[in-house]
Amino acid sequence: MNNLRLYLLRRLALLLFVTAAVLTILFVMFKLLPGNPLSVFIDSNFSEEMIRRQKQLWGLDDPLWLQYVRYMWNMLTFNFGTSFFQMTPVRDIVVEKLLHTGAMIVPAVVLSVVLGTLLGSWLGWRRGSRQEGAVVIGLLALRSVPSFFVGIIVLMVFSYNLGWFPPGGMVSIGGHGDSFLGTILSLDFLYHLVLPCLVLMTREITSPALLLRSTMLEVKGSDFLDILRAKGLPERRIVMHATRNALLPLVTDVAVMMGFLFQGQVLLEIIFAWPGVGRELVTALNDLDYPVAQACFFVMALIILMFNFVADVLYAFIDPRVALS
Amino acid sequence: MTPAHTVAERGGTGRRGVLGTIGHTLRVIMRYPTGAFGLFLLALVVIVALIGPLISPYGPFDVVQTAQGRIARLVPPSSVALLGTTNQGNDVLSQLLYGTRVALMVGVISAIGSVVLGTLIGLVSGYFGGKVDEAIMRFTDVAFGIPFLPFALIVISVAGPSLPLVILLVTLFLWRTTSRVIRAQVLTLKTRPFVWAARAAGASEWRILFVHIAPNVLPLSFLYMAIGVQGGVMLEAALSFLGFGDPNVVSWGSMLNQSFRAGAMRSAWWWVIPPGVALSLFVISVFMVTRAYEELLNPRLRET
Repeated sequence: MNNLRLYLLRRLALLLFVTAAVLTILFVMFKLLPGNPLSVFIDSNFSEEMIRRQKQLWGLDDPLWLQYVRYMWNMLTFNFGTSFFQMTPVRDIVVEKLLHTGAMIVPAVVLSVVLGTLLGSWLGWRRGSRQEGAVVIGLLALRSVPSFFVGIIVLMVFSYNLGWFPPGGMVSIGGHGDSFLGTILSLDFLYHLVLPCLVLMTREITSPALLLRSTMLEVKGSDFLDILRAKGLPERRIVMHATRNALLPLVTDVAVMMGFLFQGQVLLEIIFAWPGVGRELVTALNDLDYPVAQACFFVMALIILMFNFVADVLYAFIDPRVALS
Repeated sequence: MTPAHTVAERGGTGRRGVLGTIGHTLRVIMRYPTGAFGLFLLALVVIVALIGPLISPYGPFDVVQTAQGRIARLVPPSSVALLGTTNQGNDVLSQLLYGTRVALMVGVISAIGSVVLGTLIGLVSGYFGGKVDEAIMRFTDVAFGIPFLPFALIVISVAGPSLPLVILLVTLFLWRTTSRVIRAQVLTLKTRPFVWAARAAGASEWRILFVHIAPNVLPLSFLYMAIGVQGGVMLEAALSFLGFGDPNVVSWGSMLNQSFRAGAMRSAWWWVIPPGVALSLFVISVFMVTRAYEELLNPRLRET
């Protein structure tokens, strides 16, 4: 147990270290911006005096170290300032967009894991058959096709040609529910979710399926299955027992997958006009709305780091040998 | 992942020579149907990348005109433009052919750069261990903590879009995995008897690292280079699709970006499908070749 505690502490320290490093890189990047971050506010009619006042107001003429300390403090307390354009607190914008992104990712991951597990356990059990080989190659090929092109094709076929699904967006225009919960529980939302979710799944189903297939192969050879067989259990029940044991490595895989998707879905959000955090980042960069861009980047990085941390922790609990090494 | 046998145990690559090794590798890859198919597609892409500008009917930004002298906007595939035209009257086929060169260039350069970087870092980190290893691994952790696409978008909007910058960013993204894999490989290699033997014979640390250990990780480096080509092409396409690519160059990603913005998904399929299919075929072909190569490196894959 002592070892486990030490391991967790080390992981936590690493999380803090990496977060601070990423924040510092972000700070340097925005300091290197050519011109003035306030150029959005300042036009050529401003007098020298007015420009100086603006700089003072935003703390831009303070010494660099003070700016750095203030920046770090603000970021770590999730105080992201005010959007240059929407004139609302950036935190509110980012939280809303994150929820939207989550509303697309979570269902896709859950469905991918459930279906991928079933598929993988079937593949592992049918090892060596012709279907198994074909399905594995198909899965791998599908994963290597860029998902944004899959998204475009799916939109062209199911939305523009067949008209079965809406051509993007999260809800119909004017169809916003009163609350986030009200929105995601509406049928209208589900209707908009189908296509992006499907595209995400074509990609995300591969990893649980292949992982489960290979762990199934290992588990399949273990002695406890022979005992179950000797007890006279039907083959179907034995597959269930084997699957349950093969599920363990999947737990960490899902955590990593979730973290990765929070940055990887940028392209899909653009294609499906999904108002998530990735699309917000692109919009903010195009508008030179730096506070929003900064915050979007930070929360995406933070989410990835958190999920990786969770994966490490879960792994240590599942397989205590990890903490020992 | 461990190679089945090290170069040292096989008696060194020297006996076969570099060209012989490459020839042997290609022959083994050809033995897999998927590997052969992948190699064929890949060869096609390389040829098109080399001679594309020679065989393309127009320049990438040339405006095609109809027989009546009007600008041929959004013309479906016909004898004038085999794959149709864009809303600016550019020939889709010509853009596709020119784009092949850009895709391959970004992929190959960033793959080579990232593998050289990743292999060197992995070798030093794994072999010397201790404080050096600790420092390098924490640095790698930070690099892994940065979400690539958002990071690249910010850097490009700060520095302005250009092809060399895209290549640099992709390189900075790809080295991380390579260095971790190479490091793990070096950790097992440095406990092998041939390393003790070299040390007993009085070889210096750097000599052991580069003469005795490095050749044994090279096959793995090549694997990651191939995977890197695939990653590089995809990332360039992704950045260009988001509108952060070099505006003076036509690439598959920028074609998709233009057609997406112009709403060609609704009206002009011939402008959307070719770049997407080219991109997908290229990525799949690299995938098939690397998979065959991976099985060559790791025979255990064949059994499981």
